[in-house]
Amino acid sequence: MSAAAPALAATQRRIVVVRLADSAQAIGVLSLAYASMLVIFPVWFPSLIVRSWERGQLLPAMMIFAFLLDTSLYLRVAQRLSAKPGMLAAACLGSLPLLVVGGSSVLLQRSVKYALSSDLPNLHAVVGEEILAHTYLGFVAAVFLPFLAIRLLQQFRNTF
Amino acid sequence: MGTWNSVKWLVWAALYLVPAFLLPWAVSRSWVQQRGGTVRYSPKQLFERGELGLLSLILASGVLWDLLRSEFAPHTIAAGSVLMAMGGVMAATVWVETYCRQHSGTDWHPQRAWRDSRSLAFFVFSMAAVVEILLDRLNRVAQ
Repeated sequence: MSAAAPALAATQRRIVVVRLADSAQAIGVLSLAYASMLVIFPVWFPSLIVRSWERGQLLPAMMIFAFLLDTSLYLRVAQRLSAKPGMLAAACLGSLPLLVVGGSSVLLQRSVKYALSSDLPNLHAVVGEEILAHTYLGFVAAVFLPFLAIRLLQQFRNTF
Repeated sequence: MGTWNSVKWLVWAALYLVPAFLLPWAVSRSWVQQRGGTVRYSPKQLFERGELGLLSLILASGVLWDLLRSEFAPHTIAAGSVLMAMGGVMAATVWVETYCRQHSGTDWHPQRAWRDSRSLAFFVFSMAAVVEILLDRLNRVAQ
């Protein structure tokens, strides 16, 4: 072994180890922001979300937001730990948020169909509430599930 | 702008902090005073083994109960319940992991257990608040 090898090994950074608490804090802040908007603007904020959904702008916006949030969270953890991002984790964070938001959108469409077929009064408002709930749950799932997947995979592999 | 009817859920959500956080702290203070001690335990010292995770699971169960009785579509109830339960279970796992580490002699870090349980408790608490606000809105609309 040459003399340069230990020095080279020392300069190699370890791969990021993600903890669920990292994403949990971000979801907490996101949830409080969502709750505040619902409480402070009980009419304007829900109608903004419902209108975006009707125009087909909600899904792409959610995908972009979830992707950016997950990526920035992961990079922040990497910077804090002075560790290098892992390729598999990066691929996981790149694809899972989009898949989760897509799945959430399918669920939303089924919920809307179900609500429209029910005999509840004020159907339009009920559909609006379904859209609000799925928007929030979609955000939470898109941030929480990718980090949960990485965390569980880390249990099997020390470095991911 | 919001009315008192919408702000009441913030007050309601804050009430969860009393039994979860303030009550154990107050009980510990009274316990120390009864024994003539001068030590003061901070919430961080009280919950350093991740006990906040257990309280989060209890909070999540309460919200799950409300969610299951709501008039949301079954898909919404399922998605909300799974996410809420996962949050609660992962929060409780922090306590389990810390307990196992401590009793098996594996190295355990109170700082890490406190940070993890606090963050996951914050997640469960804030999610519970949003779900309750959504349930309140739906109840008013569906009546």
